[in-house]
Amino acid sequence: MHRFVLTLSQRMAWAGGAMLCLLISVTALSVLGRGMNGALQSETVQQAMPQLAAWLLSLGIGPVLGDYELVEAGIAFSIFAFLPLCQITGSHADVDLFTARWSPRANRWRQMITDIAFAVVLVLIAAQLAAGTASKMKTGQTTFLIQFPLWWAYALSLSGAAVAALVSLYVAALRVGEVMQGRSPDGPLS
Amino acid sequence: MSDLAIGILSFPALLGLIFLRVPIGLAMFVTGLVGLFLVTGDTIVPFARLKSESFTTFSSYSLSIIPMFLLMGQFATLGGMSQALFQAAAGFLGHRRGGMAMAAVGACAGFGAICGSSLAAAATMGRVALPELRRYGYAGGFSTATLAAGGTLGILIPPSVVLVIYAILTEQNIAKLFLAAVIPGVLAAFGYMAVIAVYVRLFPDAAGIRARVPWGERAVLLLRVWPVLAVFLLVVGGIYRGWFTPTEGAAVGALGTGIIAWAKGGLGWATLGESFRATGTSTAMIFFIVLGAAFYNGFLALTQVPQELALWVTTQGFSPLAVLVVVLVIYLILGCMMDSLSMILLTIPIFWPVIQELDFAMVTMAELHATRVAQALANGAVVPPDMLAQIQAALAEGTELTRDQLRALDIRGVSAGALARINTEQVAIWFGILVLIVVEVGLITPPVGMNLFIINAMDRDTPISETYRAVLFFVLSDLLRVALLLAFPIITLFFVS
Repeated sequence: MHRFVLTLSQRMAWAGGAMLCLLISVTALSVLGRGMNGALQSETVQQAMPQLAAWLLSLGIGPVLGDYELVEAGIAFSIFAFLPLCQITGSHADVDLFTARWSPRANRWRQMITDIAFAVVLVLIAAQLAAGTASKMKTGQTTFLIQFPLWWAYALSLSGAAVAALVSLYVAALRVGEVMQGRSPDGPLS
Repeated sequence: MSDLAIGILSFPALLGLIFLRVPIGLAMFVTGLVGLFLVTGDTIVPFARLKSESFTTFSSYSLSIIPMFLLMGQFATLGGMSQALFQAAAGFLGHRRGGMAMAAVGACAGFGAICGSSLAAAATMGRVALPELRRYGYAGGFSTATLAAGGTLGILIPPSVVLVIYAILTEQNIAKLFLAAVIPGVLAAFGYMAVIAVYVRLFPDAAGIRARVPWGERAVLLLRVWPVLAVFLLVVGGIYRGWFTPTEGAAVGALGTGIIAWAKGGLGWATLGESFRATGTSTAMIFFIVLGAAFYNGFLALTQVPQELALWVTTQGFSPLAVLVVVLVIYLILGCMMDSLSMILLTIPIFWPVIQELDFAMVTMAELHATRVAQALANGAVVPPDMLAQIQAALAEGTELTRDQLRALDIRGVSAGALARINTEQVAIWFGILVLIVVEVGLITPPVGMNLFIINAMDRDTPISETYRAVLFFVLSDLLRVALLLAFPIITLFFVS
């Protein structure tokens, strides 16, 4: 079970990373296209080789259409996809200055309550995102330039949010088990 | 209970949760959610906001710069850039007393130019430089303290993740903030080197000596650093020159660094997966805090607490500088307990309205006139000679020009509003850099400086108490620098204005 959840979280992080690389490439390509477009329309190039410049421009060399929208849609997926790994490895930032001296038993309880609260919040986020997706689907709202339906981006992000919610439920269950059995592998789970 | 009271009571509630080790993002999220529920009376508003707010917070074009910079830092390490930087710096400085430690600081500064996070810079340079320092007989605590302090350069020297967040929160120009951080960042690096020079004189046993490296070899080592320089100039220079937006700059930098890492054989499937893991956990951690902060600050704005606080402070007649110093001290104290990003996200929406309302008189109307006249004359404005003489006399006396004189030079946009905008921008940049430094001091201040733990964990032979003792010298240099920047705002604003 643990291996399955961990692998799932890692796969999601991989998908998020792959999306991030894709967005980086699209953005860099857009910068390159914009630069070349500017150069081809410059006076020197237009005078020196007008046909070649016109032909290249007709191929559509220029900034990627709607690169901005693609980044916005994609990066949300990346971040939601990164959440499960952060959850299962316990990588969220916290302040352990005052609880370090508590007894292991007290810390087990504290950790259980925290992770249950985390699970509640992440399930709430996923559920409300699902509702948001449904309402975007109903209104049929599209993005400005590429005009793809906004609910696609929502649905993509929802996949990450849903896995994060499941992983957080698993982590919470694990903590309940630790409290019941009185053992505590305190720290990261991976 | 009034909304204002709920807003004020949310502070102790939030801090209580954080000190109970509730993850900071979660604590802010829950406090914001409960607060919204209390203020609006039911769950409709908070739940309705959640339908789109998590998505819109994460799908931010300007924030997408953060995972890109984080990935770039990973690629830079895989491309051997951290190694190359340290070897080059050690080639030039290593034979001096304390030189290897200075080289570590120099390499950290170089790595900071392509990495936007302190913890990543400290961890990376620690892996590279710590074994070398120990091999050449540098004392344990001295070595770990040097690297922990050097790591903070990762965030001081642009690009910087924390500055990106600050820029977004205060609606300032990221490129200008990056540029403003350059001189303070370089000052920090030299300050740390000076600390090392003093330290090895006080404790001569703390440092060993390494043989001098011949000049030919040094040149070879220096040449290996070119990718770092190329990436930095392309990214920061390109953003500043307006070739591309900060996000585009980050994308170009990440792609370029990735290609270099691949060409050097450092980037394969396994290491790519590891980069995704490291980038992913940091990104998720950061953005969950951003989401929690968005929720909490949304609730706080509804209770009017930031506005009331700003109003209260400005009507008390405190001197602006005194208020600023108090705010910085609060950051120093909080910084000993919390990470810099959480602190910025938590406090800037509260402190910035206060600072914004104070009059630091960075630029007076007469100074604004003087700059605009110089611009107009440089652009070839023509005025009758006698009027020109009057204008120059007025500027020499430091008085404002008359309306007729301004009209003759065709100068527009010198209203009180324009002056206020310029002043606000300058104060925002100055304040941002000061805050950036004091929150970074927190990273190396005992007892809970994060950088100290990261580096100390790499060296099993050194007890943390030794690191604590040695790092105090670096903290002192940080505080001196803050005082310097506080006294002379021009150091920070030199490239900007």
